[in-house]
This record gives sequence, structure tokens and C-alpha cells, in this order.
Amino acid sequence: MLLDYDRLGWLKVALLAFTALVAAFLLLPVVFIVLLSFGSSRWLAFPPPGWTLKWYQELFADPSWIEAALTSARIATMTAILAVAIGLLASFALVRGEFRGREILRGLLLTPMVLPVVVFAIAIYAFFLRLGLGGTTTGFVVAHTVLALPFAIIPIATALEGFDKSIEDAAIVCGASPLQAKLRITLPSIRIGIFSAAIFSFLASWDEVVVAIFMASPTLQTLPVKIWGSLRSDLTPVIAAASSLLVALTLALMIVTALLRRKLQT
Amino acid sequence: MSVEAQQGIATPRIPAGLGGLLPALILIGLFFVVPVLTLLLRSVTDPAPGLQNYAALLGDGTYARVFFNTFLVAAVVTIVTVLVAFPVAWMLAIMPPALASILFGIIILSMWTNLLTRTYAWMVLLQRTGVINRALMGAGIIDQPLPLINNLTGVTIGMVYIMLPFMILPLVGTLRAIDPMTLRAAALCGASPLAAFRRILLPLSLPGIAAGGLMVFVMSLGYFVTPALLGGTSNMMLAEMIAQMIQSLLNWGLGSAAAFILLVVTMALYALQLRLVGSKRVAGGA
Repeated sequence: MLLDYDRLGWLKVALLAFTALVAAFLLLPVVFIVLLSFGSSRWLAFPPPGWTLKWYQELFADPSWIEAALTSARIATMTAILAVAIGLLASFALVRGEFRGREILRGLLLTPMVLPVVVFAIAIYAFFLRLGLGGTTTGFVVAHTVLALPFAIIPIATALEGFDKSIEDAAIVCGASPLQAKLRITLPSIRIGIFSAAIFSFLASWDEVVVAIFMASPTLQTLPVKIWGSLRSDLTPVIAAASSLLVALTLALMIVTALLRRKLQT
Repeated sequence: MSVEAQQGIATPRIPAGLGGLLPALILIGLFFVVPVLTLLLRSVTDPAPGLQNYAALLGDGTYARVFFNTFLVAAVVTIVTVLVAFPVAWMLAIMPPALASILFGIIILSMWTNLLTRTYAWMVLLQRTGVINRALMGAGIIDQPLPLINNLTGVTIGMVYIMLPFMILPLVGTLRAIDPMTLRAAALCGASPLAAFRRILLPLSLPGIAAGGLMVFVMSLGYFVTPALLGGTSNMMLAEMIAQMIQSLLNWGLGSAAAFILLVVTMALYALQLRLVGSKRVAGGA
């Protein structure tokens, strides 16, 4: 009966109570940070003595925050485009190609996801120092694309595996060229995978801290580097304001994803 | 899939099956494999050829403490994460869809929220004058603020928070795949709920627990951000030590040797995980 929700009896009450606690634990920091960002206490007293928007004003008055956010957006967008393009090509080969060592190659391409980021961070930092790419947008995009590639390949390859190839073959029989068939039949069918890949690789770059800390230069900082620097000096509520905007962005992304999935699936 | 393709209409092969992999292989080869290998080479050549960096790392008590700390934190985080995640995954697997989707929403929100944002929140929540200490003192449970930050307690709380979704989500899949009839049969045969749990539910979910637990352990071993912000200076973890050796001390030899040790341990455990669940399951787990 342990897997029957309606017949768990007292155990259900206990487990549900525990689950509710965990849900609260998961929500706590997110909700807390949003409330804190509107609190008037510079010393982060909670509950706040009053409510204010001044941290947001301070945030928007400081061009270095805006610039860091724009830099992050630029780098993450380029990363997402590159990772999806490269990942799409790779996924076709990984899913449909027949050659020896396919599993090994798949494993190799997914390794950046498993290797501790700090190892990659110092490796690419040293490498880019020699190439003169340290602290450049190109360097950032290349390093982030390496990290984002697994997050692009996994959803696209999964979608492609679930796609019945005979539909594409039928299009070819009906006179479409193989490329046409791919562009007009296959790609639209796996669009959910492509879309997920774009979101995941964007987030992989947008949220990336460790490589960014090593790569950043005084003139080129991403948002996480800016937050990291502020965190290390003091816990100003301006960080709470910036963080709350990031939470809002996450929520927006989640809603867009849910809506698009629903739309694409019907 | 390939068999189907062969039996189907004779379609032209994808122009050179390997061709599509070329951009990815160039990217990963040039900007991942080469830099990492160069770094590893540096661990035996910098400042002079030889294994002195490894000897220094493995022979020194200070470094031994860092290794010990890292494994301790990763183990504690993994155990706590498994214990907390299991009941939640269990409920998620069987609860009504409407309720489950709310819970999934909360889990995804927490997982997708910027890592630094979450860590910042815990820094504020756990500090001496933070909400948690105040609430506990207000309720009369403690007289003095508990030291919740800049120590292993802080790191553990922050890390468990981050790892929970990675444990819960794959476990839900494992638990949903278990046929409820097996448990009904156990109950019919007179097994008590405890016996059914111990002898059926737990063994059947063990592969999921092992795979998820291993993933959490591996991720915790190499974690940098959260230990650096929530941990103390006296109990540093490996990733932070590596970063410090390179960034502050500019000791590339020692830093890359430590990085290599971390790499070997991680990859060995990853290989073990692959053997446990197969490469596709691991990949799909993200």
C-alpha cells in the first residue's frame, strides 16, 4: 500500500507534513531575498523596520551593475546560439550516425558537465592567458560554450531519439531534399528540445560564476562576478535588489517555458 | 533506432555521419581537452620536472586536512540530501498531479534561481544576528546565537539546499517506475508497512538512490562557490584551495597537482555511476 496515495493512512499525513517542510525550506531563501530587497534596514534586519525602494534606486543609479547585466546578457545570448548550433549538429551525428566509438564521443562531449568547474576554470584561464584571450568577450563566450554544450546536446538528442525518422524519410520519398526534409519536418518536430537547449545553455552562461571569476578583467565583468565581488566586501541590500530581479527573471523564464511547452505540444 | 532506419526506405546517409560532430569535437578538443591536459602537464613540470608537487600535497598535514574536510562535507551532504529527498520524492511520485505540479514548480524555481542569490540568502539567514538565530532565541530555545555560518554547519545547509533538486527529480522517476502491485501483494501476504518498506520499496529504489547519491557526492567534492562563501577559513574545501593556490599564491605547480587529484577522483566516481545506470540515464538526469 506504500505506493497508494489514498491508502497510506497516518503515514501520508506524516510524509506530507515533511514534504511541506522541505517545500518551505526550498522556498525560504527565494522569498526571503525578495522581502529583504524592499526592507529599509541597511543592516538587513528582519522583519524590516519599514519598506522602501531605495536599494533598487541605488542599483539602477550604479552604471557598473547595469553594465555587468548587459555584459552577461550579451555573453549568454552568444553562448546559447553557439551551443545550440553546435549541439544540434552533434546530436544528429550522435543519435543517427553509425560509427565506432559513438558512446565514447558522447561521453567526451558531456564531460564538461561532470568535471569540477574549478579545474576547467584554471585550465582555460592559463590557456587563454597564453593566447591573449583572457578577459575578452570571445574568451568568455568560448569557455561558456564548452560548459553549455552538454546542456544543449542532452535535450536535443533526447528529442531526436523520440522522433520517428520514417516521417523524415517519407518527406524525402515525396520529393524533398534531405536538407529540406530536416529543416521543414525534423527541426519543427524537435523544437521543444531545441528550445530547452537554448534556455539551459543561456542559463549555464548567465549563472556561471567560477570560470567568470578567473576570466573577468576590471573592464569586463559579468553579473555573477559583480555579485561575487560585492558579497565578499559587504552584504549590502543592493545585492538583494539585484537578486530579486534575477528571481523575477527566473520566474518569467519558467512561465514562458511552461506556456511554450503547452503551445508546442498541442 | 538504427535497425529501423536500415529496414526503412533506403535513405541517403547523413552526409558523413561524423561530419556533424566536427564543430563540437574541435570546440571540446581545443578548448577543453588541450587546456586540461596542459594543466596536468604543469603539475609535473612546474617549477621543476618531477613529482614534488604531489609529494608536497600528500605529505603535508595542512593539505591532508583539506582533503579530509572535502570528503567529510561531501559525505555528510550526500547522506542528508538522500534522507531529506527520499520522502519528498516518494510523495511526489504518488500525489495527485495538481499538487505535484505545484511542488515541481517550487523545486524548479529553487534550482533555476541564481546560485549566488541562493547562497547570499543563506549568508544573511544564517549569520549571528540572522533570522534563524533570532527566531530560535525569541522562542526561548537557545540563549546564545548558534554559530551557523563560517563553519561546516553553514556549508552543509547551503550545499544540501543546492543538491536537493538533483536528488529529488531522478528519484521521482525511479519511484514512479515501481509497480504499486508489488506492494499491494506484500500487504496482502501480511507484510507490515515497515517490512514492505524495508524489503520492497527501499531495495527497488536503491539504484535511483545510489545513482543520485553518487551524483550529489561528486558534485559536492568539486563545489567552489557555496563552501567559499558559507565556510570558514579553518575548514577550507579542495576547490577553494585550488582556486586560492592559483589566484592568490600563483603556485601553478601545486594548484594543478591538486586539480589533477580532484579530476581523477571525480572521473573515477563518474565512471562508477555510468556503470550503475548507463550513460543515457546519467545524461537524462540533468
